[in-house]
Amino acid sequence: MATIGATAKQQYVERFGAAERMEHIVLIISFSMLAVTGLPQRYADVQIAKDFIELLGGIESVRIMHRFFATLLMAGSIYHGGVLTYKVYVRGSSLNMLPTVKDARDLIGWVLHNLGLSKEHPKMGRYNFGEKAEYLALVWGTLVMIVTGFMMWNPIATSKVLPSEVIPAARLAHSSEALLAVLSIIIWHMYNVHVRRFNKAMFTGKMPVHHMEEEHALELVAIQAGTATPVIPDAIMARRNKRFWPYAVFMTILLTSGLIFFVSFEDTAIHTVPRQPVEESITIDPAKGNAEAGATKWQTLPCARCHGETGAGVPPIPAITNTALDFKVFAADIRRGPADMPAYGPGQVSEQDIADLYAFLRSNMQ
Amino acid sequence: MKRILRHQRHIFTFCFGAGLALVIIALWPDSSSQPTFKHPVVEAQDGGSSNPTAKQPTGNNAYCAVCHSQEGRTVALADGTSLDLHVTPDAVADSVHGTSNSQETLGCVDCHGESAFPHVEARPESSREFTIKMSQVCTDCHVDEAQANADGVHAHGLANGNLRAAVCVDCHGAHDVQHIKDQPQLAAETCGTCHTSIFDEYKQSIHGEALLVNGDTNAPTCITCHGVHGISTPTTAQFRNRSPELCASCHADKKLMAKYDISTSVFDTYLNEFHGTTVALFEQEDPNAASNKAVCYDCHGVHNITPANNSKSQVAKQNLLATCQQCHPDASSDFPDAWVGHFEPSRTQHPLVYVVDLFYKILIPGVLSGFVFLVATDIFARTKHVGGRKKSAPPPKEGHTESAKPEKEG
Repeated sequence: MATIGATAKQQYVERFGAAERMEHIVLIISFSMLAVTGLPQRYADVQIAKDFIELLGGIESVRIMHRFFATLLMAGSIYHGGVLTYKVYVRGSSLNMLPTVKDARDLIGWVLHNLGLSKEHPKMGRYNFGEKAEYLALVWGTLVMIVTGFMMWNPIATSKVLPSEVIPAARLAHSSEALLAVLSIIIWHMYNVHVRRFNKAMFTGKMPVHHMEEEHALELVAIQAGTATPVIPDAIMARRNKRFWPYAVFMTILLTSGLIFFVSFEDTAIHTVPRQPVEESITIDPAKGNAEAGATKWQTLPCARCHGETGAGVPPIPAITNTALDFKVFAADIRRGPADMPAYGPGQVSEQDIADLYAFLRSNMQ
Repeated sequence: MKRILRHQRHIFTFCFGAGLALVIIALWPDSSSQPTFKHPVVEAQDGGSSNPTAKQPTGNNAYCAVCHSQEGRTVALADGTSLDLHVTPDAVADSVHGTSNSQETLGCVDCHGESAFPHVEARPESSREFTIKMSQVCTDCHVDEAQANADGVHAHGLANGNLRAAVCVDCHGAHDVQHIKDQPQLAAETCGTCHTSIFDEYKQSIHGEALLVNGDTNAPTCITCHGVHGISTPTTAQFRNRSPELCASCHADKKLMAKYDISTSVFDTYLNEFHGTTVALFEQEDPNAASNKAVCYDCHGVHNITPANNSKSQVAKQNLLATCQQCHPDASSDFPDAWVGHFEPSRTQHPLVYVVDLFYKILIPGVLSGFVFLVATDIFARTKHVGGRKKSAPPPKEGHTESAKPEKEG
């Protein structure tokens, strides 16, 4: 892909293809939206963060948005893994994103040059030290965010496999890594490609040759020499393709399934699940209830006070005559006190009382 | 001598008459219980004004006391109940409204209205109706309390037809009203007369024990959390969302908590934690937003609150899983460890969280200062060696937008 083209006005190098540019746009959207919906959660005690969350429709909707863009980022990461494998395995590209000793030397050379201590500007390859640092930071950061995000998204599943202490640790790592990522993007990425010089290669795909000379001099030489892209015989390419695609399909299915599991496995972290009453340990058999005793107790216990002499209720107090409630629910309601009803402990209403009252209410004696 | 004897007869007659008069006078009040007795006319003094600064009781309390001090005097009401008409004069005198207790002296007629015997007012249907009606009189003077009460749960209950809902005299008494300010024990016991099961739970709690057994008046009583007259419904989302602040009003008070050696970081650590952050955001968004994100009392219990080292506590180690399962029904036995408690992570408390914190405290400034340094050298080069740099990377001026702003330094 790296070829030299020319417009009427200048020479340029075709640096990024349409797919790569698209990938970058998806990354911009997902990363920015994750930052926008995530950082206010980190600083939830700051008023402006609270106001911003409110502006976005409240914390629940902010969390759902955050999860949507997280899913987009993860889908993008799966795609990127596939493309990377294809480029390296099928097309024979070198792993030119990995740091080398030369990058360290370039970094030092570049600083010395900036400080005026060296006349020589380092000559760099397709990806210079700054871009490598950014890419590797992105890979590291995304991995940290995916792993820690999973733990927060699925705390119960996590606690079944790992010690639960990883969950609060994950929460801290997630928000700290986010801060690091956002500040790094602002300081390093924004400066390098927007402030220092607006590098439009990621949007247009093209980089002027004179920029190449400064930032990717070695690659420019290789392009000019025709050695930038390895030449692979068609037969070998075909054989590699034959091996790659089944693997790619398999991995895509596997990772997509993993992603679906990730986003749908657990509910409590996303939705407001109604609180589950802890089962009351009422052991008495409702058959032991005596309706006549219940009738007396209905008057002597506080029941009639609100539910009325017959249990007919006075709005908003519900009628309880001929209750259709299950005995366990009925008993739990007395013990816990649903809505505005007070709770009655064993000191006020014994298990026998509950059974008697239940029998009374179901007896048509009222 | 004869003359003297004649005089003696006159003296005898006089003495007899005087004695008879004395006997009649002495017996006179006894006959007051006779229905035929005619009341003296009330000497109204200032027209039944409820001016609480009057030094003397309005009207003639003694006049009322003639009948109403008699024990056992009742009147039958339409609903079959009877209304006790007996009032202990001392109870009135010793009350906050009485002559011997304060400057704010009220007479019977201030509350009950002027009414000579025989009383002409219609009899109430029930004694409860009478109690409720009489409580309205309190609001004439106690305006602020009445307004607060009108917004409270008891007034709402009454308005919705629950005649059992507490009115003024249910808590304060009718004739024997006493100061209950700064008497938290009395407040708890007063509420406990109706809210019996809650009072029983409270008695067993750390707060109830401190107040009722140890007499520690710093311990919260019912009204500390629920308020006095304007008691809001504690089952609303708003009460729930604001409850952490309620607990924090004592538990984040360093001076108060120092006495008990209780950590005051509980509130901050809660707010920094997932549940607390969410609840705070919910409250900010809409105080009435319903959420099930745990607030203090979801884990610690409400009236039955006990310290975490009490085996009955919902937050005791062995009960923690059941507590988490209220909202996380699938939680497994290890899940409660996900809650770091109210501890700041340290080498011993949640070391993993501590290490992660330390890692990023080093990594973030380390990485960022590196980037800042590199950016600074570049800016330096571009301002100092502009010419030289241009030579090595000449930006063509042929109008390509790319080179429009080659050196837009920050």
